[in-house]
Amino acid sequence: MGHPVLNVQSVTMAFGGLRAVDDVSFDVKPGEIVGLIGPNGAGKTTLFNVISGYLKPTQGRIFFHGDDITGKPPYDLAKIGIGRTFQIVKPFAGLSVLENVMVAVLLKHPSKKNAEANAHAVLEFTGLLDKAHMPASSLTLPGRKRLEIAKALALEPSLLLLDEVMAGLNPTEVKETTGLIQQVRDRGVTVLLIEHNMRVIMSLSHRVIVLNYGEKIAEGSPKEVAENPLVIKAYLGEEMAV
Amino acid sequence: MGRKFYASISVVVLLFLVVPLVVHDTFYLRVITEAIMWIGLAVTWDVLAGYTGYLNFGHGAFFGIGAYTTAILMVHKGWPFFAASIAGGAMAGLGALIAGIPTLRLRGAYFAIATWALARAIQQLALILDITGGPDGMRLPPFLQPGFFFYVMGGTVLIIFIVFWYLFEVHPFGLKVKAIRENEDGAMAMGLNPARIKIKVFIISAVPTGIIGGIYAYWITYIDPSSTLGDLVTDQAVVMAVFGGLGTLIGPAIGALIISTFKTYFWAYLSDYQVLYLIILGGLIALSVVFMPDGLWGTVYGKIQNARLAGSKEKR
Repeated sequence: MGHPVLNVQSVTMAFGGLRAVDDVSFDVKPGEIVGLIGPNGAGKTTLFNVISGYLKPTQGRIFFHGDDITGKPPYDLAKIGIGRTFQIVKPFAGLSVLENVMVAVLLKHPSKKNAEANAHAVLEFTGLLDKAHMPASSLTLPGRKRLEIAKALALEPSLLLLDEVMAGLNPTEVKETTGLIQQVRDRGVTVLLIEHNMRVIMSLSHRVIVLNYGEKIAEGSPKEVAENPLVIKAYLGEEMAV
Repeated sequence: MGRKFYASISVVVLLFLVVPLVVHDTFYLRVITEAIMWIGLAVTWDVLAGYTGYLNFGHGAFFGIGAYTTAILMVHKGWPFFAASIAGGAMAGLGALIAGIPTLRLRGAYFAIATWALARAIQQLALILDITGGPDGMRLPPFLQPGFFFYVMGGTVLIIFIVFWYLFEVHPFGLKVKAIRENEDGAMAMGLNPARIKIKVFIISAVPTGIIGGIYAYWITYIDPSSTLGDLVTDQAVVMAVFGGLGTLIGPAIGALIISTFKTYFWAYLSDYQVLYLIILGGLIALSVVFMPDGLWGTVYGKIQNARLAGSKEKR
């Protein structure tokens, strides 16, 4: 132990002249739920893509449990324990819900029998068991969001990156998903989540990191961040902050 | 599912064993052997196209590599047929590995163009090399036993079919392959390395194609660049698989059976109108893509499934 689960060191991701992520550093400690917030276009998803290996950072390094993982491909990161969901969900549409989860379970349980049993357990945990044999394409948006979480969990990750899993959900579903994330954390999984729903961020996160125009402008407890004038300015504009 | 599969396989095996006892006419035996060969070519093409979504327009190159490897080893090195045809499969697999590493990173049409161009390059190579006999082709030691080739071709294709069925429909490997077809980015997040898995499928598709090519060479006893490495080998396999139904193993087999039978009868009885064959083939494929995008088997199977669903709903 001793090492943070995730250690991001001055990461920059530039696309041509645009610095989508600009010199961002932070830690995520074991067992934490950390919220990543910021206005649209602040670079949150880009940062996720860098951490999960879909983009190679222009500068900076990323450490996972103390090991340098900068530039490693997504499939290697999944193997060592980084699970992620996508804001724009990526189900295997032609496969059944059960098969979708099995693809992920196979990583840790290569035998088909074990994989099926484990996939059932994951579906039960995420409340999708009754839809196990439906094609993933027939799920509604809340169902697809939930399938994203189920697939990421099925990897048995030590770090879970959740990209706007609440978007498009009704208040009841938001409450259910919030409960689910809390349970995941209680099982010992560290969580980093991007979220626009402030109520969710305030109730779930131990710490909040705020991005704006690719830069980290604030970090602290939900309360500290909410009172930070820079954050208010970023969200509400110049005049309101004064 | 399992029991049904074994039952249908046993029926097929039984039928297959009986055929030469019933069919004494060598012409028909030859027609059936050729149909079986096309089943093999359509199914091997479809494991890449249907299960990973990559359209290989150079499939005929693997067939030709297998045919030429077998011919060269038998004629110049005196290898026995079985060893030579297996070496043909190995060479085709090696070809897939070499061709796959750069090309399987390409998506969509680019892969189709790259494989087509590579196949043309290999055909040109066979035309200019001495060892392949150039445009004159190669003659293999004649072995005129239609029954032998029926069993060898049929046995090989049957084994291919069973191995593929196990790999793609039973073993978890098939699930991984389908996941990559459905969403490559999503599959990477699940710990799957798409490049590696696609190359495996490419090799799995190429090796048996090479073996079939080897059997073809010894069976027909004469090969040349256009008959084994030309566009037509690929085109027919593609048409058969698409007509039958992509992404299944049965669909391309059915498509191959129908089109190969049609082709044989057309060439045998309407040889004056040979030009029409390709025109009809082209029209057929265009029509089937427009009106049956899931292919013959996909359309029929889909109807059966729908009827079943409707039936079970009524019962409730």
